[in-house]
Amino acid sequence: MTIDWLFAIVWLGGFGAFLIAAVALVRRSERRLSTGPRDQYTTVPGSDTSDQISAYLDRMSSELALPAADVAEVRSELIDHLEDSIAALEAEGFTHDEALREALGRLGPAAELGRQLRAAHQSTRRLLAGAGGGVFAAGGGFVLGYLGGTALAFVLVIVMAAGAVLLGHLGVPLPDLTSSTGGSVGNALMLSFMLAFAALFATRYAVRTCAGLSRRAPKTVASFWAAAGLILFGAWALFGIRGTQSWPGAASELCIPLAAVVGAVYRIERPMPHVGRWAAVVAVLSMVVLVGGVALMYGVSYSSSGSSGSFQESDLHLDLVAPVAPETWLPAADMVVISQNGNQTAYADLSAQLFASSGGSAPLPVAPVLANWSDLRFEAWHALPFMSDSGQLGIDTTYATPFAVQPAVLQGDSFPATFHFEHMRDARSWWVVLTGVAPDGHRYRLGDGTGNEADFNGSVWDWLTAPQ
Amino acid sequence: MRGKIRAQLLKGTTTLLVLTVLRDGELYGYEIAQRIRERSGGAFVPSEGSLYPALHALEADGALETSWRESDRGPRRRYYKITKSGLAMLEEHAQEWAASSLSTGKAMGEANR
Repeated sequence: MTIDWLFAIVWLGGFGAFLIAAVALVRRSERRLSTGPRDQYTTVPGSDTSDQISAYLDRMSSELALPAADVAEVRSELIDHLEDSIAALEAEGFTHDEALREALGRLGPAAELGRQLRAAHQSTRRLLAGAGGGVFAAGGGFVLGYLGGTALAFVLVIVMAAGAVLLGHLGVPLPDLTSSTGGSVGNALMLSFMLAFAALFATRYAVRTCAGLSRRAPKTVASFWAAAGLILFGAWALFGIRGTQSWPGAASELCIPLAAVVGAVYRIERPMPHVGRWAAVVAVLSMVVLVGGVALMYGVSYSSSGSSGSFQESDLHLDLVAPVAPETWLPAADMVVISQNGNQTAYADLSAQLFASSGGSAPLPVAPVLANWSDLRFEAWHALPFMSDSGQLGIDTTYATPFAVQPAVLQGDSFPATFHFEHMRDARSWWVVLTGVAPDGHRYRLGDGTGNEADFNGSVWDWLTAPQ
Repeated sequence: MRGKIRAQLLKGTTTLLVLTVLRDGELYGYEIAQRIRERSGGAFVPSEGSLYPALHALEADGALETSWRESDRGPRRRYYKITKSGLAMLEEHAQEWAASSLSTGKAMGEANR
């Protein structure tokens, strides 16, 4: 047995023990939050006497704000007490009505009794236990919700794929989720779906467990956990989930904190008596679906290929940017080449250099050639998707202006430039060209430029505050 | 005025009295009130409105444990039983009470002299 196996066993064992402990804690709280068979002793059979006792108990219960089981026990105990008291008073010679009034009077004002009983139940020790238990249960709920959400997401994907095939046969146009952009949207939607489930279960488990352990009605602690969930999951959704972003993706990720709030408040008084059974079913089914899904994913091989690089100059529509520099201002023997430094895809690190068109790998000095040029700048234009199978390439002709511009500052024999397309919402496929104003006062482009694709990479907050 | 003073005195002694009567065995709420009345010869009549909060607070503190049993009348009754922690608490309260009573008696003696 290698150390890896030992690590896996310890990790899985610890994880399983944590889940079992969390579910056990929730179940324990549920027993206190559900009245069950105690209900039969919380009311008295119909009569004038019972109406007065019931009215007294209802008023007292309205001040209790305790879990349902505690309320039922208090009512049951007080009914028993009042019946004993009335019987004793009648034995002393009181009429039934007098005995009833006297017995209720000895208990004091109903609201005051309710407040005192609530204070007796809700000690600081129990509150701390409730808070700690709530956090623990939230962790278990998060894991179970994530597992369940993931399994459900797999099922949904299968159903959607089947639906897409059917709609495709019917000729209904569908979004291309296999493209780079479409794929990232799909991934974000799936991730949000799974995390929303996790957040919903986390806050629901937290509220129910905290209420049971701290002896409070769930609705009285729900707002605390809703606020905590909103802040925690809101911060995570805004700043923590980093990667490719899109409007549908950002919107779906912002639903995660809302799911946490819904989990904490929606019908929160409703008992969850089958929590343990359902948790076990969710865990087992999730593992089955996840293992099957992962196996399916690894079993299906697919290939993707880009088409960048193989293009005809006429396809680029570069004249939309600016006319090519005439020989008068840029010798035909020379050309400005913009190259991408390194293999990074997170951002565009560019360098424009002058080369002899006849060949040669050494760049030529730029200063003498472009001495009379002014306002040299890099222009980033929207380009057509490079991964497209349509064969269309180059500048996207639906745009008339560049989406980003940087002045070109000479350093040595090159113009360096860095475009952080990964922080620009609409960059995606881009094409950068170097342009400048020639001595004739017109702007021309220097060379063909270069292009690539860049997915937005950052948090939802970065996406919302991005310049475009 | 006299009733108020008695109420104030009783308020502080409810816990002591409850623990004392439960030292002899399990009892339910109404029985506890009756037992206190009997043992004090009717001098102490604990307010029933303060008895139950005191019982529930003692249970929350771990001084008492409870069990539900069917009563002869039908509905279940909640029985209270003193725990080890409750016995320790009773010991402590009794000592405090004795010391306090002694001091009060001395002070009263000084005042009456």
